[in-house]
Amino acid sequence: MSVQEIVRPAAASNLVMEARNVTVRFPIEDAPEVTAVNNFSIQIKPGEFIGIMGEPGCGKSVAAQALLGLVRPPGYLASGEVLFQGHDLLKMDPEESRKLRGKDIGMIVQNPRYSLHPMYRVGQQIAKVYRAHNPVTKQEAWDHAIAMLRMVGINDPERRANAYAHELSSGMAQRVLIAIALSSKPKLLIADEPTSGLDVTIQAQFLDQMWENVRQTNAAVVLVTQDLGIVANYCDRVLIMHKGSVVEQADVHSFFRSPNHEYSRAILALQREETSEERNTREVKVDSTSKPLIKVDKLTKLFPIRRSESKVHAVDGASFEIRPGECLGLVGESGSGKTTAGRCLLRLVEPTSGDIFYRDLNLSKLTRDEFRKKRDKLQIVFQDPLDSLNPRWTVEQCLMEPLNLHSTMTAEQKRARMQELMQLVGIDPGQIHALPKEMSAGRQQRVSIARAIATNPDFIVLDEPTSALTPETTAEIIRLLMDLSRKLGIAYLFISHDLTTVKYICHRVVVMYLGQVVEVGTKDQVFNTPAHPYAKALLSSHLFPNVENRRVDRAVRETLQGEIPSPITERLPKGCYLYGRCPSQKDRCKAEKQELKTIGDGRQVRCWRVAEGDLPIEVAVGH
Amino acid sequence: MTITPGPQVAATADASGVVVIPKRRRIDIWRKYKEEKLFAFGCTMVAIMLLLALCEILHLELGLPTRITPYDPNFATGNVSVPPPPLADWPGLLVDTIFNGAKPPHWFGTDNSGLDVFSRTIAAPRTDMTIALVAALVSMLLGTFVGLICGFYRNIATEVVMRISDLLQSFPVFITAMVLVALSGRQVWNIVLALAIVYAPIFVRLTRAEVMSQSVRGYVESARAVGNPEWKVAFRHVLPNSLIPSLIQVSSTIGFAILLTSGLSFVGAGVRPPTPEWGLMISLGAPQIILGEWWQSIFPGVAISLTVFSFAAVGHGLEEDYG
Amino acid sequence: MLLRFVTRRLAVAIIQLIGISLFVFFMIRILPADPVARLVGLNATKEAYDLAAHNLGLDQPWGQQLLNYLGIYSNRPGDGVLQGDLGDSWVTSAPILEELVRFLPITLEFITYALLIAFLIAVPMAMAAATKPGKTADRVTFVWGLFAGAQPEFWWGLMFVFFFFFQFHEWGFPSAPAPLGRLNPMVSEPHTITGFILIDSLLAGNFRAFLDGAHHLMLPVFTLVFVVSGAIIKMLRQNMIRVLQSDYILYARSAGLPSRQVGFYAMRAAMAPAMTLVGIFYGFLLGGAVPIELIYSLGGIGEYSIRSILAFDYPAIQGTVLIIAMVSLLIYLVIDILHAAIDPRVTF
Repeated sequence: MSVQEIVRPAAASNLVMEARNVTVRFPIEDAPEVTAVNNFSIQIKPGEFIGIMGEPGCGKSVAAQALLGLVRPPGYLASGEVLFQGHDLLKMDPEESRKLRGKDIGMIVQNPRYSLHPMYRVGQQIAKVYRAHNPVTKQEAWDHAIAMLRMVGINDPERRANAYAHELSSGMAQRVLIAIALSSKPKLLIADEPTSGLDVTIQAQFLDQMWENVRQTNAAVVLVTQDLGIVANYCDRVLIMHKGSVVEQADVHSFFRSPNHEYSRAILALQREETSEERNTREVKVDSTSKPLIKVDKLTKLFPIRRSESKVHAVDGASFEIRPGECLGLVGESGSGKTTAGRCLLRLVEPTSGDIFYRDLNLSKLTRDEFRKKRDKLQIVFQDPLDSLNPRWTVEQCLMEPLNLHSTMTAEQKRARMQELMQLVGIDPGQIHALPKEMSAGRQQRVSIARAIATNPDFIVLDEPTSALTPETTAEIIRLLMDLSRKLGIAYLFISHDLTTVKYICHRVVVMYLGQVVEVGTKDQVFNTPAHPYAKALLSSHLFPNVENRRVDRAVRETLQGEIPSPITERLPKGCYLYGRCPSQKDRCKAEKQELKTIGDGRQVRCWRVAEGDLPIEVAVGH
Repeated sequence: MTITPGPQVAATADASGVVVIPKRRRIDIWRKYKEEKLFAFGCTMVAIMLLLALCEILHLELGLPTRITPYDPNFATGNVSVPPPPLADWPGLLVDTIFNGAKPPHWFGTDNSGLDVFSRTIAAPRTDMTIALVAALVSMLLGTFVGLICGFYRNIATEVVMRISDLLQSFPVFITAMVLVALSGRQVWNIVLALAIVYAPIFVRLTRAEVMSQSVRGYVESARAVGNPEWKVAFRHVLPNSLIPSLIQVSSTIGFAILLTSGLSFVGAGVRPPTPEWGLMISLGAPQIILGEWWQSIFPGVAISLTVFSFAAVGHGLEEDYG
Repeated sequence: MLLRFVTRRLAVAIIQLIGISLFVFFMIRILPADPVARLVGLNATKEAYDLAAHNLGLDQPWGQQLLNYLGIYSNRPGDGVLQGDLGDSWVTSAPILEELVRFLPITLEFITYALLIAFLIAVPMAMAAATKPGKTADRVTFVWGLFAGAQPEFWWGLMFVFFFFFQFHEWGFPSAPAPLGRLNPMVSEPHTITGFILIDSLLAGNFRAFLDGAHHLMLPVFTLVFVVSGAIIKMLRQNMIRVLQSDYILYARSAGLPSRQVGFYAMRAAMAPAMTLVGIFYGFLLGGAVPIELIYSLGGIGEYSIRSILAFDYPAIQGTVLIIAMVSLLIYLVIDILHAAIDPRVTF
């Protein structure tokens, strides 16, 4: 079929692309077909930034790929049409549609490092795509590749063009993908969760860069994401998908103000509740003068590197306290040591030095076996709910284990306790014999929480308990955790990179960077007036789902330069660890080690400029 | 490299929060048997061979009347180098044998010392299957245990054990087996021991690798956090989740063990004649092949080929579902 | 980089070889075999027995035997392994090293050809199978991979002899040669340079020997290809299928690369791990091709090893295992260097 034959009247309109009633189905062995995308329709205007949002498995990625006419096998396009400049991509000759892909329609995907071929230099990969669509020589294509790398903000593009995918960080690899996608100046860019797995400061750098690049070329963007913050801060319009169908389509402003669909309201729940009465009734009032339940003093964890004298400084002299019933937030990017700090607290990782007090007991001085007997009072909930349950154990076995290990109850009492636990966390008694893989992520996490509270602990480390969950489930789990704390008086160490949930649940917040605590303060202090330059940048980079203060509307989009250095002995900065990336640095920062100092309003900050009043504390622009 | 499964298949949670994943559990072995021809064929063949071995062993060890071979596999009949009857005559001969009580013919002919090839072919599983099964099981038990300890407790001692296991694995398998068997006297139990030594390192390596990847899984850390002592973490949590690669491997190892057993006999470093054993039968018939006496070698060879293939098919089927 | 990698690997290899030597040395002495009785016969007098044991050095304690074998503080004439002397065979009295140098190339030659051919066959078959999964080509390749992956190669060898030699002869077809060696006795053997008969005959310009050598190699190589190709195809097919579903292939397609280019992308990624498998086969076949050598009377290192083992010829057993292990380790090294050349993730 030639291109002429399938020209449609729609070519007259000034849409970049129009999809009508696209349906994608997946045949599944021994089961009815799954309709992954059901009657998906979208109209894209030039220069528009459209978000497609939904939970994992709602079909948003499949829909985005279908816009290119691609479906991952064994799926197939059951019906619909995708009109691009008047031609139906789905009926086009494969060679014709190939010519459009990568030239007029660019694509970037999640997992950037796995989406680049592991055995070719990234420059070559950009050049190959460019040559597939443009009549140029090898040398010209290579030069173009380097120009593209420069355009997407990669330092030293000549050197980076010769790198392989495994030598790049995720953020860098994602920039390479966008260089490939934009190399032939496409009219439409489809971005499938481009920043999942990236740290917030890197995510902000990347999205800003993408924003700049597409604004220069006036390309339209379809951005698939499950992050409300990204939608609120960058998109003009949003489509909400649920179970394969578009349930809501709206301008971002009106979407955040008054979502129509029930599902939309569910995912916006946390934000909408934040200031509401409902949250305030949940919040536990903490007596700030009470004796600390947990006291961490100069906690340090160094991991040795094989065949080397130097060490990985995962946690570098961290000190903080947690009071009974309090929820302390521990925030920072990957590599900040927040997870290791949580593990050290429970001695799942043995600290190198430092003390941990539980009431008056120095936990770090106990033998492993003595400590093991204390585990009924000190518990943890992990990030990945499926991974943290034994795949061969039923709910019953998982919940019985702590009781068998720590209690002297009779079998009858244990059974009753188990029923009680299931009721507390909201698991249907009918699921008592379910295996972890047979439950949804939210249920799995409830089992983990039930297991943690089984022995009536005083303190639970929550290690990113919601980061593997959908926004809807996150809201449910956060409410559950707050209720449990209020009913049972449990204190939490809430480790997370998601500042939105931290803001909702925590009383006080600790900010970590490269293994050091850089700022400790109440939630209002840290979130409203961050003092340390890193805390400022972190808050400014974090995309709060607030359409009144969009990042793209700000005059100055504050972020940090470059990437986080690797925390290896000799690579760590000599003075302040932020030196080299900090927008407020001075010469003195280069060589002077920074100490955590208490400042006027009672919080602690690791920055001499703040401590000496050299750097004014301003209201943050983040939200 | 990881392959992200199509997100559409990964999770289709319904309203009750129950994820619909096509379940694969114990009961499915039976369904698999009914649905997959290759797997069914493998299972059937393996079962037949086990049955043949059992009949012969029960007869030899307990004197039960379970011998089903028409002739004694160890005693010559006096008819030397008789070719098998032509296929066209088989139906008639069968009727005669079964209903008229005639003396059974030499279905597969006799070899050049007068032994009935058919009787020996169906008596041989007692040697081949016993050696292969016991050797594979011993090496699996040994290898899994060592692998678990070496993977779970990482210290100098277990490192040394691993090095020794690696060294064993870098030996030329066939030559090691020949040396072990030939120098220890070519008895059945020596062959079993030799094979177990040769194959154990594979299981050590497999189990250790799996234990190491399981050990960094969240549920292991959870098990510690709940308050399990280390040995309970190792045996109650890690071990049951680390067995699958070994269980899959054991099927193909039995196949390889049969190949090695018969290969050793073939080169003269295995069981002694006149033990009914496939490799030995092929070896005894080999000089006759260029004289055109094909029947002495062909039938035991077909038996090996089918049996080994069956174990491979079963192993593949298990790997497909549980690997 | 490369040099440092090679030196480090060689150093490790030497340690492994020492380990293997010690292991074999003690293993054959722990096992209950009596080489002296094997040599002098069971009816020999006590004196004759003791004399033989003394002549072989077996009357010494194991520690001293080891020193004699290694060639340090030796109390016997002649050098040891450390001086590069593997000792003399107890059966033929010839220096073992010389015998091995003569026999090793014979085995190397036919397994090299077989692995090359198997790889060349496997690549297009795996490609065809993986690009259209579930179709006929794929089913055939799959069953073949499963079937030929584990087969009694000695039996297939015999069947091929029966069919291509005996039956073809009967039918009056041009048949394979009798399985009685590497060359027809009437053909003059080329002067040994590499030990590979095809290469030596070409170097000597002896085309008759070349053709006859190829004729004689045909069946043994075919037999090996038959049993080895299955496993290689199986692995390549699995690799190809996995690679074709990978994110980078999907991305290459969505970036609009032409399908030929996508094919190259996939090939390169699928090939690298399969090369390692070929290396493992090399090591395995060096000692494992014994039955095939026996069937075709090739007289390679496998045949030498079984002869030595059945005769309880300790020095020859030790020497054979050592040499085979050494060659295997060298081949693994070469394969690893090649692997690193196509896959940059493998670092030296």
